[in-house]
Amino acid sequence: MADMQSKTATTESTNRGPIAMQLRDVAVSFHGRTAVRDCSFDVAKNKVTSLIGPSGSGKTTLLRALNRLHDLTPGAKVSGQILLEGVDTYRGDLTVTELRTRVGMVFQRPNPFPTMSIYDNAVSGLRFNGVKKKALLDEAAESSLRSAALWDSVSTRLKVAASNLSGGEQQRLCIARALALDPEVLLMDEPTSALDPIATLRIEELMTSLKSRVTVIIVTHNMQQAARISDDCAFLLMGEDRAGELIEFDTTEKIFNNPIDPRTLDYTLGRFG
Amino acid sequence: MTQVPTDLRKHEEVVAEFGSATTSRTWYFYVLLAAAVLFLLVSIGFVGTIFWSSLPTWLHGGLSLLTGKGWTAPNGPFGGLAMIAGTIETSLIALAIAVLIGLGTSIAIVFYIPRRLRNIVATLVELLAAVPSIVYGLWGLLVLAPWMATTVNPWLNKLPFATTIFGNPGQEFGTSLLLASIVLGIMIIPTFVAISREVIAVVPQDLIEACLSLGATRWQVIREVVLPTAKVGLYGATFLSLARATGETVAVAMVAGGVANMQFHLLYPGTSIASWIALQFGESTSKEVAALMALGVLLMLLNFGLSLISRSLVNRQRKLLATV
Amino acid sequence: MIELEQPVEAGHEMRAEIRRISNRTRARRVATSRVMVLLCAVALTLAAVPLALLIYQLLKNGVPVLNKAFFTTVPSTPTLIAPNATGGVSNAIVGSIALNIYASVLAIPVGVFVGIYLAETESKLATTLRTIAQTMAGAPSILMGLFAFSFVVHDLKIGFSALAGSFALAVLMLPVIILSSEIAVRNVPATLREAGLALGAKPHKVSMRVVLPSALTGIVTGAILALSRAVGETAPVLLVIGGGFTNTWGLLNPVSALPLSIFENAKSPWPSQRAQVWGVALVLVAFIFLVSLTARIWASRKQQVRN
Repeated sequence: MADMQSKTATTESTNRGPIAMQLRDVAVSFHGRTAVRDCSFDVAKNKVTSLIGPSGSGKTTLLRALNRLHDLTPGAKVSGQILLEGVDTYRGDLTVTELRTRVGMVFQRPNPFPTMSIYDNAVSGLRFNGVKKKALLDEAAESSLRSAALWDSVSTRLKVAASNLSGGEQQRLCIARALALDPEVLLMDEPTSALDPIATLRIEELMTSLKSRVTVIIVTHNMQQAARISDDCAFLLMGEDRAGELIEFDTTEKIFNNPIDPRTLDYTLGRFG
Repeated sequence: MTQVPTDLRKHEEVVAEFGSATTSRTWYFYVLLAAAVLFLLVSIGFVGTIFWSSLPTWLHGGLSLLTGKGWTAPNGPFGGLAMIAGTIETSLIALAIAVLIGLGTSIAIVFYIPRRLRNIVATLVELLAAVPSIVYGLWGLLVLAPWMATTVNPWLNKLPFATTIFGNPGQEFGTSLLLASIVLGIMIIPTFVAISREVIAVVPQDLIEACLSLGATRWQVIREVVLPTAKVGLYGATFLSLARATGETVAVAMVAGGVANMQFHLLYPGTSIASWIALQFGESTSKEVAALMALGVLLMLLNFGLSLISRSLVNRQRKLLATV
Repeated sequence: MIELEQPVEAGHEMRAEIRRISNRTRARRVATSRVMVLLCAVALTLAAVPLALLIYQLLKNGVPVLNKAFFTTVPSTPTLIAPNATGGVSNAIVGSIALNIYASVLAIPVGVFVGIYLAETESKLATTLRTIAQTMAGAPSILMGLFAFSFVVHDLKIGFSALAGSFALAVLMLPVIILSSEIAVRNVPATLREAGLALGAKPHKVSMRVVLPSALTGIVTGAILALSRAVGETAPVLLVIGGGFTNTWGLLNPVSALPLSIFENAKSPWPSQRAQVWGVALVLVAFIFLVSLTARIWASRKQQVRN
């Protein structure tokens, strides 16, 4: 694989440090029709990597391949290699359930489980994984809710239904829910697009502080957000055959200030949506 | 089962804004209104006539219809307790059968059957519903009853606690409350599946994905998220199936044995409210007819009540999901 | 910038234990999931098996009985000398056809109009009628028989007759047709109505000329399905049509019907009559299946063409 020329433009000299996940020629197709292809890059540990690009460029499709959500979709095929700490997530020794405890996900619309309380939502991941001891659950609930900067506002009403929270709080609850399992990687699919600006800002602050605990991969259609919070950036674009492909991957600084590919420059300058 | 009208809001918006066939007083409006009024009259007549015809029984016997154990034709006293008991027994057992099998079937259809096969499987279950109840009754009487008498009943009576629940009527009886319960159960499976399938299928996909993303197994997703979210609607399905079971007449009439004695042994023949009306009506005097009409009133109240509960539950479920 | 309120190391033990429990229980949880899939498959099979058995019995017992005489002769009673002299079921066939035609004439026009009324009106009357229709659609069919007996047979003094039976069946079909017609009209895309109104046509003309033709497929399908249900119903007609052994179809005469003939002869002491009953059941089920399937396929084809 080392001699295979990747079509992606990358600066040669960057040393990313410890790597959490590696993508090698990852492509996703549905019933034979390619949705995204040619994705090869390394996700650095404890950093925020953002996937940017106009709609239809396959960012979300790529993200969902990282925790094998496409397994649910009949006709979906993921080719290439996705490595988590060196282990192939599709063909290696890793069961899909274990993979998902190590690679968590937060979705676009906040989706706490409607029939559960705040506490139950926060520890739902642990319960699914067989944890029953109350002491352990309590500790994990407090820890994850603190990490999501939600503890102070909910600690007195943990048994209240989750639907009582505002949109931003619900999303932070979903983040807490994912964090409770102590994943190595946290995938976030446009987590603030359904929220108001203030809630958005708080979650962006959260993401920056979470870096020290988890590796974050975020899909965002908001360029300014990507520029604000991410360390590395992958730019995807829909090609002529309506399949998304990775155009350029580099540090955020380089992507926004001095990209190699002219299409990247066009996008960051807002020349197309 | 009534489907939810799709695109409801948009239709209402257009009608509210621009008007419809019933906004202005045209001949078309009067035709529609006349039909509506006619239907109203028919439904009032439906309820009223049966009530009115049953009056003699209530006036002469008071509430003894509900408490009396014996049904003495031709002049009374008319006691409906055996029918009530039979209805309760057969309906509850049938419900248990239908919910257990029906829930598993719905889950299988929504989550495990590949999309292409789904329509075929769903059509098969709907065909079950299309079989008229007399054919179920016939099958029960001529095929299942002999089988029960020769094979199942003797085996059942060998079980340790058997005689209390089942009784031991010997081999002549294949028709029994148990057989009626089983046939009834088979008949209401499609009713339960039709609603529960719909209720389970509309649980939002992103809740399912969120659950899976936490490392849950497929069964955990169903048990911890899908079923609790659909819970209210599933109760609605249960009540509707119960309503159908209590109203089922002909199949029960053919396989329950048609005997109005108060006993709880399942292998003995028994009866239900609806089947008793059907069986006794033929040769009844006017006093007995009034009593049968009174049983009809009972049946009506029971069925309408269950049906109302079911509909309000299903509506509540719909509103719940609209906010999720 | 938000600071984490707990140092990372303090939670280490908790996290390690969570991971341990998670890995330890995984195999069992996955196994449980597989078992439940199996159980659901079993449930699905259990739901399908009775239908398969029933169809098998219908074909096995019913087909041998179907011959020309079955369809064209009236029934006769077997005797010891002629134990197989059952005749046919032409009286029931004629009776069923008559009953259902009369019932359709009574129920379909009224039902469709009420359905349209409900779809086009937002009044208290409309809401009430809808609830009434939903309640009556689920009502036990024997109640329709009681209604017909009380009203037609007794009060109107018409006696046991095709009219009474048709009345009962019509009351049975009416709420079902109302509900399906309303849904058919509501399912017509609102944009169609808007377009008609935008052209300046009056609302009631839009409803008649634009919306109704579009809803026609759904309305017809609903009516056909209601009819196929009525054909198989025993309880409404059992109490009021009187039965009989001749090919009559007059409104005021007692008539027979296919479900009735099954009900009467299922318990017959003569094996030949019991065998004939299977033939009637087969005809009934075959008819209902064919009509339902055809109606559904036709409706979905029309839907595809429109899309």
